[in-house]
Amino acid sequence: MNKPEQASEKENTLPMSELEMSLRQDGRQRVAGNTLAFLKNHAPFNKMKADALQSFAEKAQITFYPAGSLIVGPDSGNVRYFYLIESGKVQARQAGEVTVTEYSILSLGAGECFPIGAVTAGRPSTNTYTAVDDVFCYQLPAEDFMALLVSSPEFNLFCTQYIASLLNQSRQQLQLQFAQRASEQQTLNSPLAGIGSRTPITVSPETTVRAALETMSKAGIGSLVIAGEDRKPVGVFTRSDLLDRVVLADLPLTAPISQAMSTTPLKLEEHATAYDAMLAMASNGIRHVLVTDAEGKLTGVVSERDLFALQRVGLRQVRQTIDSAQNIETLQQANTDIRQLAFNMLAQGVGAEQLTQFISALNDALTRRVLQLNLENHNFDGIEWCWLAFGSEGRDEQTFVTDQDNGIVFACDDTAAVDSLRQRFLTFALDVNKDLDRCGFTLCKGNIMASNPQWCLTLDEWKEQFSTWIRVPQPEALLNATIFFDFRPLFGKVELAESMRRHLLIQTQSSPMFLKAMAHNALDVEPPLGKIRDFLTDLEPGHPGKIDLKKYGSRIFVDVARIYALSTGVHNSNTVQRLRLASQRLSIRTDEINAVLEGLNFIQFLRLRHQCLDVEPGAQGDNLINPDDLNELDRRILKESFRQARKIQTRLKLDYQVN
Amino acid sequence: MLGLKKFLFKGSSAANLTDELRAALETWRESPAPAMDDVHFHTRYVVLDIACSGVNPATDKLLSIAASTVRQATILPEDAFFLDLAAQGGDIATTLESAAGTTVDQQLMAFLQFTAKAPIITYHVPYVGGFLQRTFKERLGIDFQPQWIDLALLLPALFDEKSDVVKPLDFWIDSFGLYAGNGRRSAMENTLMLARLFQMLLVRATGKEIDTAAQLVDESKASNLLRRNH
Repeated sequence: MNKPEQASEKENTLPMSELEMSLRQDGRQRVAGNTLAFLKNHAPFNKMKADALQSFAEKAQITFYPAGSLIVGPDSGNVRYFYLIESGKVQARQAGEVTVTEYSILSLGAGECFPIGAVTAGRPSTNTYTAVDDVFCYQLPAEDFMALLVSSPEFNLFCTQYIASLLNQSRQQLQLQFAQRASEQQTLNSPLAGIGSRTPITVSPETTVRAALETMSKAGIGSLVIAGEDRKPVGVFTRSDLLDRVVLADLPLTAPISQAMSTTPLKLEEHATAYDAMLAMASNGIRHVLVTDAEGKLTGVVSERDLFALQRVGLRQVRQTIDSAQNIETLQQANTDIRQLAFNMLAQGVGAEQLTQFISALNDALTRRVLQLNLENHNFDGIEWCWLAFGSEGRDEQTFVTDQDNGIVFACDDTAAVDSLRQRFLTFALDVNKDLDRCGFTLCKGNIMASNPQWCLTLDEWKEQFSTWIRVPQPEALLNATIFFDFRPLFGKVELAESMRRHLLIQTQSSPMFLKAMAHNALDVEPPLGKIRDFLTDLEPGHPGKIDLKKYGSRIFVDVARIYALSTGVHNSNTVQRLRLASQRLSIRTDEINAVLEGLNFIQFLRLRHQCLDVEPGAQGDNLINPDDLNELDRRILKESFRQARKIQTRLKLDYQVN
Repeated sequence: MLGLKKFLFKGSSAANLTDELRAALETWRESPAPAMDDVHFHTRYVVLDIACSGVNPATDKLLSIAASTVRQATILPEDAFFLDLAAQGGDIATTLESAAGTTVDQQLMAFLQFTAKAPIITYHVPYVGGFLQRTFKERLGIDFQPQWIDLALLLPALFDEKSDVVKPLDFWIDSFGLYAGNGRRSAMENTLMLARLFQMLLVRATGKEIDTAAQLVDESKASNLLRRNH
């Protein structure tokens, strides 16, 4: 308590404005006290520390929204406030026709917050938030919200988990999309419009039998549709008709095909199902059904084989097909099936990490079968050797678009015999490489293949090669390290590969200069985050508006993981496993590394989806996506994923003192 | 001018005011009042409640003033004010460390500066205004007559579907379903409750084309007149 004497001394020392400020401060704290009383009853605020709560309460403005009024929506511009409902109900409605999250309408009540994602990202809200009844909200200005994210770990966790749950919803949504497409493709309930040949070969009824047969022969088909100029089918001519109606009927080859065709072709409209077609075939004893549009014009032909294909693809069947394949042609078909199966699995909700490993596993089986088939012509009895996979295959991270990266390691104590033995392996490898190419694994443009003498080496030569790269980290050596240090034994004597691995880890751990050079290299490419725009989309010459998700996305994670794996002695070559194990050894927090892995998995997921959904069937996919084609939520998550890439790059930069 | 001053300060402690306070009071007096004919969104409304030792403005003591504001239909915590006279035996305010050593007169002056002649919302103007008027007269020798807006009168005038007669504040809090907390409310808690009611009232007023502070003041006066005559 101040005494009057003291006061009178000071009486005129305090300027009025300062006094007003201090009384305003008292007022402010009392307003905050009122807000605090509310906050303490609601999560996550009841878990937050006192000073964080106090700063929320001192900044939170109170607003009123009468029933039916708009609070914030996509057209409100970048979200300026974080809203906490004090009383009343708020309806969150998905804007636009495409639903991003699992809900389209959501009701929020007292103690609930919105729009967390938008205010975090500083962009407009994707939802429209409307007051259902009279609503009072606390609104925290965006800059204070961001400051709170930094100062309060509890609040940060709450918001992060909220966004993570959005991410989860996005994935579920994605799986729904796949499920729809997959079931369209898979089941017998799918319409004929999507099955079989969409461009059937037709000839007019006046065409001579000879010309018709020539057409069939040239196109390699067993049946022919005869249609008028209006594209309405009038008949079908099949190989069996050739026997019955031409040869045995002594019909001259100059006669018009209309005299030899079956005149009552079975027709179904496009919206009929595969099941209808199957039934029609079974009950009529035929192998083809013509598909027409509503006007009766020919739009396709469905064969018995097309319907079989619908049911063929299953994990066990594919695996059996591969393991029992007696020729390359069967394996070619198996490769198509792998893609189909992977697609279906994506639909069933298998995550990117498991899926890439699954593709790798089946590709491994296929490669092994190719090797086995070729070993019938090449004999390496008594020789220790191993087929190695490098690059993405070596990391178990194959996507749908993958080329060959392989090599051979063999043991040979007799130095004089090395070259002749190498020659034998090269001949063998060349056959394998060619067969793999036929099965869909295109030849490596950089010639990183076992048929290249550079990559068909003895154990000692490999070790020496590794040592040379590590000793002299020239640009080319570093580039090679990024490919060859991600190796994995695929077939043969696994111990040889293990010996290579031990050698590699011992060498790299004692070579800080090499790791630093690797780190330097890994930091060459940065995630395409713009300062003003969300994304930089002009980094790839020739592809304006697109982002290369491999080059500017997953590769960043892969490169960092490799360095940490080498520095901490992690034997795995898979990026996710490398990061998990290395982070334990480096005492990186689990939730931190999980966020990084989520980021990587999302980018991989987008790559898979892009390669699966966005390309024409049969065409080769790439890794170029246009961020504008993504929905709002995916864009946000992609941005966050790139931020995670930047985060581990920053860590690498600090750890290896790269500037 | 000089004569007017003499008249105003006559018989009050205003004669004992320091030169500094006198100058501040003069500056405040001459400062322009904010426009009353601007739309609500652009008007700064001061909302206040007081705590007193009893219910008689003529004899009981004013203990504290808790004020908040509504601007752009929003309650901003940084634009609030609290004046505690309760702990003061004499002329000295003691509750705030930073305000230590300042006189009640100075603090009341600071309150005037805070209000900046803005229209003032409260519940039951004769009561609240009575206490303030007496205090300001005794202390600073001024006749405190701001643009009062009385929620006790305006609420039944604009929300007559809930009640068309003057009701205690708790009736309105209940009928709007506001979160009132538990137990006795402090002056600031009451002020914030009034501010929320006022936010709601502004929406209703705008719907009835009562668009400005001046119109609200008129409406407040008119409903008062109406009630007296019926």
